[in-house]
Amino acid sequence: MSPGTIPARLKRWIFFWTPLTWLVLELIMFPKDRPLSSGLANVMGGFVDKRIGSYPAWTLWASAIVLVVAGVRARRTQEEDSRVPRVLFAMAVVTSIWAWAQMGFTQLDLSGRESGYSWLFQSVLVVLAAVLVWVWAAEHPERTELAIWNTREIWRLYRASWQGILGLSILLFFAAMALLAPFLASHAWLSPNAQVSQTGFAAPSLHPYLLWFGSDEQGLSVLAEFVWSARISLFVGLLATLITTVVGAGAGIFTGYYGSWIGEVGMRIVDVFLVLPWLPFAMVLAAAWGQNYAIIILVIAFTSWAGTARVVRAGVLSVKESPFVERARAIGSSNVHIMGKHILPNVMPLIFANAVLTVAIAVFAETTLSFLGLGDPLNFSWGTMLEHVFNAGATQVPSATAYLLAPGIAVVLLVLAFNLMGTSFDEVLDPKLRRREDSGGEIHLRDDTAPPVPVWAGAGGDAGGASLSGDGGPGGLS
Amino acid sequence: MDKRRYFTRKVLNAVLTIILVACFNFMLFRILPGNPARLLLPKGHYSALALEKQMKVFHLDRPLWQQFGYYWVDTLKGNFGDSYAQHQPVIQVVGRALVPTLVLVGVGTLFATIIGIVVGVIAGWRRNHAFDITATNLGMILYSMPTFWVAMLFILYFSVKLGWFPTGRMADVGAVYTGFVDRAGQFVHHLFLPAFVFAITYAAEYELIMRSSITGVMNEDYALTARAKGLSPNKVLWGHVVPNAMLPSVTLIMMNFGFVLSGAILVETVFNWPGLGLLAYNSMLARDYPVMQAVFLLASVAVILFNLIADVMYYYLDPRVKA
Repeated sequence: MSPGTIPARLKRWIFFWTPLTWLVLELIMFPKDRPLSSGLANVMGGFVDKRIGSYPAWTLWASAIVLVVAGVRARRTQEEDSRVPRVLFAMAVVTSIWAWAQMGFTQLDLSGRESGYSWLFQSVLVVLAAVLVWVWAAEHPERTELAIWNTREIWRLYRASWQGILGLSILLFFAAMALLAPFLASHAWLSPNAQVSQTGFAAPSLHPYLLWFGSDEQGLSVLAEFVWSARISLFVGLLATLITTVVGAGAGIFTGYYGSWIGEVGMRIVDVFLVLPWLPFAMVLAAAWGQNYAIIILVIAFTSWAGTARVVRAGVLSVKESPFVERARAIGSSNVHIMGKHILPNVMPLIFANAVLTVAIAVFAETTLSFLGLGDPLNFSWGTMLEHVFNAGATQVPSATAYLLAPGIAVVLLVLAFNLMGTSFDEVLDPKLRRREDSGGEIHLRDDTAPPVPVWAGAGGDAGGASLSGDGGPGGLS
Repeated sequence: MDKRRYFTRKVLNAVLTIILVACFNFMLFRILPGNPARLLLPKGHYSALALEKQMKVFHLDRPLWQQFGYYWVDTLKGNFGDSYAQHQPVIQVVGRALVPTLVLVGVGTLFATIIGIVVGVIAGWRRNHAFDITATNLGMILYSMPTFWVAMLFILYFSVKLGWFPTGRMADVGAVYTGFVDRAGQFVHHLFLPAFVFAITYAAEYELIMRSSITGVMNEDYALTARAKGLSPNKVLWGHVVPNAMLPSVTLIMMNFGFVLSGAILVETVFNWPGLGLLAYNSMLARDYPVMQAVFLLASVAVILFNLIADVMYYYLDPRVKA
């Protein structure tokens, strides 16, 4: 069989995104504890460091299982001589060997995360993923064309709003900072005996670049803390959003689709979570469970999934009545099939736009909880930095102004970025708001049975969501 | 819908939600991973006798289903046990903190609502004019600011650098007043900064809600009709657009009132304002679970009540509900 031909544009995309993805993944795994004075050779050596390997083995096993399931499904649904399942199985095999290596081959430690060749496994997997896209595209030319067209169209619409571009630029800036943290300021500068100034609260100065934002109460570099905080703040925000979105969208689809008593009971539960005042609730949970980021992520997800569920449910309620759902039901499709193949794709834009806004909430919530002292005391996030600022009484010290400003401005910019991006996505994905004439395939995202409750009624309080859906009105009565 | 049916349904809903939240509160402190006794009993050096007394107060020596019964009886009686940190009944501790919070939140919310609605109406009406662009972008930025950070900035600038306002608390330590006017003046002086921080962060949110509501209504057919009839712009705005735009905004703002305690926690913590928020923060640091339990329940009930009020207002504001 020939490798198959794919559109030139997709080829270009693959050749551009594969190395970039590889670089990002390698940077995520890059060892934190590089020596303070690392020459270029030393830095490059980090990419093939024997100690690299930051994913616990169980996550790799989970991925391997997902890949096997996908492969089996592909074997059933794809053409007889399709190569898609083969690539998927190959990825599953590589992932399993990697997971096994992380467990230490003989110790079988599911949380193990040390293996000398993670960088190699990861590189192979990235290449295999690129091959997968290539093979799939070669076997499905029409769908590929459609996907390319859709992507370009969405990007074209998104690009048209300056808010979207501004938000994306801010996000890319902080993402780059987070990824390049080991090169910007070694992790060693965070250790309690790595003072950069004689006294605490040194004023900012240009010369040692570590003093750009001055020093903290112990004389440690604020810049180093700031740079490494970006990782935690982004990571916690994104992971909490992932959980929130999966749980919330699942609950929304479920309660929306089953209108009978099952949906009613589900909706009651969602209602209870909607009225829980999120901050006292999160404080109770975090105080009872302990202080680390896993807890914070769970707490954020726990308090914000209901908002997503409510929004998604409203979307499902209107999609449910469409002719294509009726048709699917008439020809005897199962409920699971209808929910997965008809409802989900149609509320996907809604889920996506909501997820972008949820990141803003999650970053905000993480900052707030960390500020209240519920964050991991061993790590730095912008919220933790602000907690130190507050507890050390830095508001009384004029030379510590930069120490107070830097993390706060970063949070504001990041939250603003996600709010701007969410608003732009809303505009792109909601045909009603598009500044073009065509309004084909319009989805009404409104729930007529309840008083209008837009996204921001979600988690309530300060982090209470942020659907600033430009011209749409807060879910006004239609 | 029939009025009685509408209200019965809403009230029943609210009562049901309160019951569910109260059950949740019970579970939160007793069925969470970890020994319930560990959470509800004080840490540190306590005599066996005190521990036993605490076990008795929360009926932790009984089986779970009996605890559940006692929990309901105690909650309805307002008996939440004793605070570990302050060695007083929780109900007294909470009661003392209630008034300062109500004053702070009340004043802050009042200004937030007025500023937010007025600016939002003007911004929505003069859409894409200089005022709108300034107000909306400023609102977006303010809305993205953590409340506690704004509070710290204000302390740094207005209290420390300029010395215009005290850095916190409700009154100076050991202050001596010459009379009621002096005392009231001092109080307002202390209240100003926290209430201001509270007001501007919420005003930003309300402004954005109001603005998008106005712009939405202005695209409706009846707004176009009103303009086509030749009504003056002022009449169109105040007679046709604003009343319709107020509808969703006011209910939304009303619902938000329930959540102001979350904002109060942050503002009160930074300004050391002796209200419910600071109480929640301190009891969290001291792991004073009886107090946390009461504050959490109170905060949840506030949200539910304001939701109910929003529903009631909705009925009177929106003629379509009655139809």
